[in-house]
Amino acid sequence: MSDPRIEGYARGLFEIARAENTLDEVEDELFRFARSFESSDALRNALTDEQIPAERRQAIVETLLGGKATRTTTQLISMIIGIGRGRELPQIIDELVERASSAKNLEVANVRVAIPLTEDQQQRLAAALANATGKQVNLKVVVDPSILGGVVATIGDTVIDGTVRTRIEQLKSRL
Amino acid sequence: MRVLGIINHFGIRVASEEFGIDAQGHITTASALFPDKAEMIYGTLASVIIFAGLWKFAGPQIAKGMKARTARIQKELDDAAADKAAAVAEAAQIRQAKGDIEAERARLLAAAQVQAQTVIEDGRLRLELEVTELEAKAAADVIAARARVFDELRAEIVRLSIAAVDQVVTGSLDEATHQRLIEDFISRVGASTAAGARS
Repeated sequence: MSDPRIEGYARGLFEIARAENTLDEVEDELFRFARSFESSDALRNALTDEQIPAERRQAIVETLLGGKATRTTTQLISMIIGIGRGRELPQIIDELVERASSAKNLEVANVRVAIPLTEDQQQRLAAALANATGKQVNLKVVVDPSILGGVVATIGDTVIDGTVRTRIEQLKSRL
Repeated sequence: MRVLGIINHFGIRVASEEFGIDAQGHITTASALFPDKAEMIYGTLASVIIFAGLWKFAGPQIAKGMKARTARIQKELDDAAADKAAAVAEAAQIRQAKGDIEAERARLLAAAQVQAQTVIEDGRLRLELEVTELEAKAAADVIAARARVFDELRAEIVRLSIAAVDQVVTGSLDEATHQRLIEDFISRVGASTAAGARS
């Protein structure tokens, strides 16, 4: 059960994006930013450091996303950082993505790959995951070189792991 | 009586000597060696009386003393003989004791030898047992050390193998391999059903 405060922020962001009629785009951009936020220590430290003034942290967000994301996405992230909730940013965004997917009767499929997927591969992968899980999925692809190769997909509690990293770990265990 | 006759004869002869008177009127004997006759007679009688008294009264005491002395000497001789016999007996005992000591010494030596032999035997058995135990322990240590070396060697081989796998796999992951892995994943997931999805 998620934190009510996180749910509140997620619901607020969701309503804003839906009111702006940019929900799909904003949701996708927020998702990507959340993954970058998680994987980059420098970015996470800069945006959660209470010693840095809120205006300065918001300026960092504007600089990073300016011209690369929609105005709504930039403003929403800047708002979360400005009110000092940077540490909960990934959870808020994940909750927003869940909420957006539920609104479209979709299940979020968190997919990690070593190299970017083509549009065709994403469509075929979404179809394959839908076939495997029996649910329509909202595919969220994250490029994560640490998996070395292959794909790992997480839909709810189901994990389908086809990464090279996992195979190597299994081989190490056998050795 | 012959002795009295001689004395009498001698006395008569002495009495036949004549006395003289010197210038001062003192009577002098004619012999410078012998007293006058009367003195001879009375002296002799007195001596006889004294000797008779002595014979009569002192003789028994002297004889008694001599007997006592003889008895004392005999007693001393007997005591000496008894002491000698006792000494001889004691010497015999000492000689016997010496013989007993020799026997005891021999017995003690034999017992000590037996005991020493037993101690030596026990020590030998104990040493043999310790040697056996040490050999067994050394053998176990060798086996353990060998197993440990094998384990370390195996761990090192595994470590090197893992490092080699990492390098080989990472080095062989080109674009085509990435695409093939992705396509394989899509095909595999697409071929599975909801019931067969792994978690």
